[in-house]
Amino acid sequence: MLIIKDLESGYGKVNVLKKINIEVPKNKVVTLIGANGAGKTTTLRTITGMIKLTSGHITLNGKSIDNFPSYKVACLGLAHSPEGRRVFPSLTVFDNLQLGAFPRLTGSRPRGDFKGDIDRAMELFPKLKERRNQLAGTLSGGEQQMLAMARAIMLNPDIILLDEPSMGLAPILVEEVFKIIARLKAAGTTMLLVEQFAVGALNIADYAYVLENGRISMHGPASKLKNDPAIKAAYLGGH
Amino acid sequence: MDIFVQLIYSGIALGMIYAVVAFGYQLTFSTSATLNFGQGEALMLGSMVGLTLSNLGINYWLIIPLVCVFGFLQGTVVEYLGVRPAIKIKSEFGWIMSTIALGIIFRNFAENIWGRSTFRFPGPFEDDPIKLFGANILPMEILVVLGAVSMMLLVEIFNRKSIYGKAVVATANDRDAAGLMGINTGLVITFSYALSSLTASFAGVLISPLTLAGSGAGGALGLKAFAVAIVGGLSSGLGIVVGGIILGVSETLTGFYVSTGYKDVPSLIILLIVLSFKPAGLFGKTTIKKV
Repeated sequence: MLIIKDLESGYGKVNVLKKINIEVPKNKVVTLIGANGAGKTTTLRTITGMIKLTSGHITLNGKSIDNFPSYKVACLGLAHSPEGRRVFPSLTVFDNLQLGAFPRLTGSRPRGDFKGDIDRAMELFPKLKERRNQLAGTLSGGEQQMLAMARAIMLNPDIILLDEPSMGLAPILVEEVFKIIARLKAAGTTMLLVEQFAVGALNIADYAYVLENGRISMHGPASKLKNDPAIKAAYLGGH
Repeated sequence: MDIFVQLIYSGIALGMIYAVVAFGYQLTFSTSATLNFGQGEALMLGSMVGLTLSNLGINYWLIIPLVCVFGFLQGTVVEYLGVRPAIKIKSEFGWIMSTIALGIIFRNFAENIWGRSTFRFPGPFEDDPIKLFGANILPMEILVVLGAVSMMLLVEIFNRKSIYGKAVVATANDRDAAGLMGINTGLVITFSYALSSLTASFAGVLISPLTLAGSGAGGALGLKAFAVAIVGGLSSGLGIVVGGIILGVSETLTGFYVSTGYKDVPSLIILLIVLSFKPAGLFGKTTIKKV
């Protein structure tokens, strides 16, 4: 589905990512974990063309998307729920969801069952149903995260990139977010999940990559990495 | 007293023109945080193109949509040549000089095509005034107010109701996130420039039958509309209407009771006062830039 090969990118002349390779197969959940500043968000931003790649290749469904502008990547079926939620504060919850489906409503992607998908999104995130006509800027942090995820789903994407969905949320809300990711996984959604909260991510993912200073330092099935002593010590707070 | 009310009427009509042009400043500022400092020249071009069409015998009501199309194209050109390169290299101030430069170029073209004199622009109505609350008002002045208000309402409705309008608002809210939704934000910015020049050239066709049309008419109007945008706030629709009326009325009153030579002074004094006490504008929200 999504293949990243020898990717290098960064800000200005400084390369943050150094030849990283990641593969996200169809219907699988892959997680990318690592400490602050390891380059997790940079990886996602490079995939969706928010940052230029300096070398390497990204292919989506067998098609090269190197340095495509963000809107083209979205139209090809890749949804990116960005770090910090980035909902549109002056628009209502419904408008935000509608914009998630923008390529479907404007002919760049098959329209599908738009109304049904809105209903399903509201069902998955009951909070949003209550707040349907409220401005997104007035929602709490947790609700905004739900909205950002629901908005990504509205694209009817082939793959979803989730950037730190648990960031800044109370533990009970983190649990809720992960429950929803589990439901999406059960429905066969392909996902690339970036997380600092490694326990949650490794519990849910099929496969995991560990990013350290812009390099993939380790990768393997999530169940295996979870029990790796080095990972335990560095990311899971184990002894 | 009659004269006073009459001056208020003319002031409101003039103020609404400022408001429409200020509205154009807001359109581009919201999507790209840039302004077209050639807005006044866009207005002037609108009125001169309108005048040419009028001389060809085309009806005033038909001239309006034709000039709007012209304004749309003119705005697209400005964005492509002056603004897009600056946004691309993330230059914070490059667009200021380039939009001013394009404005001057447009004015030079206009001076060479139409000369420097001013012309009478025939309006759609007879010049017989109507009595309203004891004072005279010209039908054209009513048209200016109605035209200006409906133009702003139309854009508001478009932004609130249509999916493309919402895409414009989304781009204004958060350009990167809008891109992730599959919105071609570069095109949205071009569109906002096209729409902003469209409103300015529309204003040119509206105001010219009341004033005169001439290649030099743009500069002062564009500057005063900019003052209105600052007084009202660069993000408030109500603000520019109120700001426009304040400036328009103060101008006609000063022109009559003091001297036409001083008519621009009060509006600029108001600008200075607002800037020192409420820099975000009378109706603007103060935003804190986080670094």
